[in-house]
Amino acid sequence: MPAFCQTARDSLSAYVDGELPPDRAAEIADHLTTCPACSAEYQALLETVAALRSQLTRFTAPDVLRARIRAAVAATPSESVAAEQIRPSARNDRRRLTRALGVAAAVFVGAALGAGGTLVAAGGGRNAAPVASEVLASHVRSLIPDHLTDVRSSDQHNVKPWFNGRLDYSPTVLRFDDQGYPLIGGRVDYVGGRPVAVVVYGRRQHMINVFSWPTGSGDAPVATRTVNGYNMISWRHGGSERWVVSDLNAAELRSFAALLQRADSVSS
Amino acid sequence: MSHSVLDRFEQTIVPLLDDAYTLARHLLRDEHDAQDVVQEAYLRAWRYFGGFHGGDERAWLLTIVRNCSYTWRRKGPAEHVPYDDEAHSADAPARNGADARAIDDSERQRLTSALDRLPAEFREALVLREIEGLSYHDIARVTGVPVGTVMSRLARARERMRRLLKRTA
Ligand SMILES: [Zn+2]
Repeated sequence: MPAFCQTARDSLSAYVDGELPPDRAAEIADHLTTCPACSAEYQALLETVAALRSQLTRFTAPDVLRARIRAAVAATPSESVAAEQIRPSARNDRRRLTRALGVAAAVFVGAALGAGGTLVAAGGGRNAAPVASEVLASHVRSLIPDHLTDVRSSDQHNVKPWFNGRLDYSPTVLRFDDQGYPLIGGRVDYVGGRPVAVVVYGRRQHMINVFSWPTGSGDAPVATRTVNGYNMISWRHGGSERWVVSDLNAAELRSFAALLQRADSVSS
Repeated sequence: MSHSVLDRFEQTIVPLLDDAYTLARHLLRDEHDAQDVVQEAYLRAWRYFGGFHGGDERAWLLTIVRNCSYTWRRKGPAEHVPYDDEAHSADAPARNGADARAIDDSERQRLTSALDRLPAEFREALVLREIEGLSYHDIARVTGVPVGTVMSRLARARERMRRLLKRTA
């Protein structure tokens, strides 16, 4: 099969869904008018999708379930509503709730950021909001049990090599045990569609995620944000972008970020 | 105030019950499990609804339903039963050509049993796309994987369905 046909086949499914970038979609459309083999493949795919859409079962919830839900909802206070309304200490509760909800929370955090709703930015570059949103979603996701680390170790000589082969760059992995920020481990996550290194530190019961990836942009000073009770600190230095995220209080997180920055400027 | 939040929940989240139930039914493949999981998911959604400031309610709710489904099963989407094309090729019910309604039902059964045999991560991608009609972006958010992964899972899931259906036709 010609090479173009092979790549065209891989894109047909997304083409059917209208999920290709316009220029790629135009290429495929063009190719389908001239290549009978790919065109036949496309027809077969369309038939499969049409069969799936018309025949897969859309279930109707039984009325008894609807009634059970109504009754259960009526009997349960909505905790975050109560937390928002009543107590000044409610933010801690909301944080715990957000953490417990995990991925679902990431979705609403993303939605809030997307709408510019609760994003409080001080400094930071253009288009920092989508990155902030993804970084925060990743952080919230990581708070689900077993999602925090892929490599769990308090020894940087275990954590650092773990990233080799998983990423095309090597993140800084340091120990700040003496300063009260023990190393917990690391994982690879996705921000902006690319894999990034996340090194995880602790502070009492709080988790601190440190994201880093190489960047072509020049240095940028420290920017801080507070979103839905999480503090985020970001900067660029010497070809690396870093984001530090935690529900730790802003002052302590700033001192932690300062330790990292000092280490960065020594190493570069 | 609490009343208006309840009204908002009634107007935006309760009408999505069929969507939630459909996802749970396909993920759990059991009517009673699906009902329990959806009730649990709705209670969670209600508890956290005050912190949800709008956006895509459907993606938000389906994320909760999906997570509750997997928690219920105590296994992630990756830990599926190994799938064997050959072993299942004769499972589908025979077609009855006499009655249009019967053809329709047997067609539906064929598809459903083919879908049930897909690994969970393919099944959820297909259900979210073909039945729920979510965009790749929203499927990525609900399932917690990059958009590129959604794209390749859907392509492979459709290819598998096509092969399964061809064989049992
Ligand atoms: Zn071709």
